Amino acid sequence: MTLASNRVTRETERSVIGKRIPRPDAPAKTRGTAQYVADIQRTGLLHASVLRSPYPHARIRSLDITAALALQGVKAVVTADDTPGRSWGAFRKDQPVLASDKVRYVGEEVAAVAAVDVETAREAVLLIEVDWEELSAVLSIDEALADGAALVHDDAPGNITYHFGLERGDVDAGFARSDVVVEGTWESARQFHAAIETIGSVAEWDLNDRLTIWTNTQTPFLSRGRYAWALGVAERDVRIIQTEVGGGFGGKSGDDNNPVVCALLARKAGRAVQLINTREEEFLAGSRPRMPMRYWVRLGVDRDGHVQAKDIKVLADNGAYTGKSIAVMGAASVRPDTLYRYPAVRADSTLVYTNLVPTGAFRGFGSPSADWAVEQAWDMAADELGMDVVELLRMNAVESGDVSLHNHRITSCELKQCIDKAAELIGWHHKRAQRTPNRGLGIACSVHVSGRRSFGDYDGSSAMLRLNEDGRATIISGEGEIGQGAGTVLRQIAAEELGIPFEDVDVTPSDTQLATHALGALASRVTYVAGNAVLRAARAARQQLLEAAAVQLETAVSDLEVRDGRVMVRGAPGAFGGGVLVGEVARKRLYQRGGGPILGVGEWDNPSDFPDESRYGNESGAYNFMAEAVEVEVDPETGNVQVLELAAAVDCGTVLNPTLAEGQVEGAVAQGLGLAQSETFAWSDGRPQNPNFGDYKLPTVGDMPIIHLAFAESYEPSGPFGAKGVGEIAVDGVPAAIANAVHDAVGVRITELPITAEKVYRAMREREAQR
Amino acid sequence: MTASVAAPLILSFVVNYEPRTVALRSADRTLLSVLRDDLGLTGTKEGCGIGVCGACTVIVDGEMVSSCIQLAALVDGSHVRTIEGLGSPDGLDPVQRAFVEHGGLQCGVCTPGQVMAARALLDACPRPTIEQVREWMTGNLCRCTGYYKIVESVLAAAARDGASG
Repeated sequence: MTLASNRVTRETERSVIGKRIPRPDAPAKTRGTAQYVADIQRTGLLHASVLRSPYPHARIRSLDITAALALQGVKAVVTADDTPGRSWGAFRKDQPVLASDKVRYVGEEVAAVAAVDVETAREAVLLIEVDWEELSAVLSIDEALADGAALVHDDAPGNITYHFGLERGDVDAGFARSDVVVEGTWESARQFHAAIETIGSVAEWDLNDRLTIWTNTQTPFLSRGRYAWALGVAERDVRIIQTEVGGGFGGKSGDDNNPVVCALLARKAGRAVQLINTREEEFLAGSRPRMPMRYWVRLGVDRDGHVQAKDIKVLADNGAYTGKSIAVMGAASVRPDTLYRYPAVRADSTLVYTNLVPTGAFRGFGSPSADWAVEQAWDMAADELGMDVVELLRMNAVESGDVSLHNHRITSCELKQCIDKAAELIGWHHKRAQRTPNRGLGIACSVHVSGRRSFGDYDGSSAMLRLNEDGRATIISGEGEIGQGAGTVLRQIAAEELGIPFEDVDVTPSDTQLATHALGALASRVTYVAGNAVLRAARAARQQLLEAAAVQLETAVSDLEVRDGRVMVRGAPGAFGGGVLVGEVARKRLYQRGGGPILGVGEWDNPSDFPDESRYGNESGAYNFMAEAVEVEVDPETGNVQVLELAAAVDCGTVLNPTLAEGQVEGAVAQGLGLAQSETFAWSDGRPQNPNFGDYKLPTVGDMPIIHLAFAESYEPSGPFGAKGVGEIAVDGVPAAIANAVHDAVGVRITELPITAEKVYRAMREREAQR
Repeated sequence: MTASVAAPLILSFVVNYEPRTVALRSADRTLLSVLRDDLGLTGTKEGCGIGVCGACTVIVDGEMVSSCIQLAALVDGSHVRTIEGLGSPDGLDPVQRAFVEHGGLQCGVCTPGQVMAARALLDACPRPTIEQVREWMTGNLCRCTGYYKIVESVLAAAARDGASG
């Protein structure tokens, strides 16, 4: 058996776009010289540790920091008294920085210490005395919704954070028209991002009370606003500098307290402070894990297979604080409807507070939990119809030009091509014709946005592009790099548009003081949205360059072009000695009376609409699609499921860099496999039982199946060189595809993640008993 | 029973071919902490702190070691190779070059450990099969790549120059 990834990726004819260009940050990363937040040194840097709640729900009767402060080497201790006492959060301001009266989950921040080294800080944390009064806690959705349940927040009666419902089209009439109606309830899992680098910060205040935070955030500008609010200082007095980000996946998008606590300590100590989450802290209270949902679906189709109606009811576990959970549940409730041609849908979705770790944004943003349910319902419908599910999905798949019930306008869609390619690559038709005992095939599809209008009526980006007198170009963008390769792709776009070599383009790290406003790396938006801004900045810079060259060469702008780093006469590459170096033109433009630099500015806003309260509105300017098919073998004795092969076919428009795009799909598939088969948080009385990499099982290289990977021939008219987002989508379909394959293999349907051998075994025994 | 250190422990060892001496503040210091905090060799990363993820992999006397659970005092007299000791100022080690060219990394935090593990493999076995690579690298977690391009990188490095380094 081989591991090799069988990839069908086309390279384009352009000079930079579509090429397998190695990432410029790779040499430093392989040498260990890339600077992550834990690597930062500052003069007099202090190190910090946090006192966290050991209880899922408790009142703080009193807190005594005397002994901690007295420990030699301790420079500052902060408690709620050092905060402005206001709660914060992206969509609902319910999270304190440091708990004052009560704690709401195990791991919640209560106090923090800065000391000369981290060992001293940890020792001091142990010396803080808290008089706790343990309160009755709600540790599941059911407990939270029970009559008389303890309240997580006094202002959320019934522990309901948020509720919304919608109906578009006539759902009851749709079911009345249906010949086959299937339904079921699915439970998804609390999956952790488990980036190999934990969240961390270095904070320092200057003598003018201005704060700088170096942190591994995915979203420097959005984080700045939230942290300033939480600290009670003006946004203009906070500067966020993004360090290298050691993996994000949504978990570093500015919902956690780490940078805020670090800043409080730095202010109190009057020195720079570094606070790096331990691995255990990262599980307890760092990245906000995937939101578990109980997802009920009813799906109706006519006897030919055409879908007539869908109805869903969602209960989602918010944990103790909200962050972006409202948006995650919203996405899970409506986004799947942009996959098939539903004439009528209904949703009723409730977000529930519990005394568990807050949940939030994780690659897929709700879709993995939704697809886990809906894509299995489609498989059940195919079974009932006696129709091949590939044929059923194909028949109902959306196409370019479609508008969904939520007014999602689909400008480019190759979903059918994805279904066909995934089926072909897995050998669907011949394997279904010649069946092997205990082996089965399953397929699932998904759709994702390319940016989403979420934080007000703007999902744009802007960039500046300096074309320097030394011949190099610098992209100034605040979007940042989180490991996915955004910096490489933005350089490629600029180089292609400018006509200069890729190696001559740099991109700045995100710094809120230097770059223009950027929403950052979320919602699969950077390639599409920031790429369009960089494209326009490069275009503007090229125009300035050509105008300068036209003056210098005494010719017309329209006669000139830029190729291989030179300004040349169109159609006469030999003229002017083979053209003039770009840097020479820039230098001459600068060094003259009244001269100046070449600086292009580009801005672009996602052509999307801000959805209304019922989530009606075209949330993104472009949608990406995919289909994933798997073959599994189920051990009839143990229930163990082995994924033999997986085929992923993705429509992300033009593939700008095949190596990077493949990396996004392969990495997302691995996270999907973990979600499907091994990753889940275990609890006992509200206390996490496996907050470490020994007991929380991430996939290893040994767990990876043979993968077949293809990108659809696709072109998005609004995308930079035809590109759409690709970062998230491939995680979505893996769990449902595996469950469908297990059903195909041994006839049992697994409805709760992860799909463990024990669950499959029990389901097989139950099925035997019923016979 | 608690161990108290009257005088500081002096650790003498060789790091990347240079003799180094470190006064240990306490007996429970890890090799990872000494490398990062005392010697400023921050290329070695902490991922899990319990020796299961491989991000902190270094080579001690030719053997792969998880430096986050290695007591520093016990490497006295040993030769430790870290990521900073691979390649030269003007050139990457073949393993590093293969990771760059084959996209064997994304965020880069597990990368020094992956590269050191691969280096140790190729030092011991210059022409590994794909199965040998998979088995050897199982102790190095990566959350970004899905591992396919890491395996390709290791095989490419072996094909290019399995015995160098």
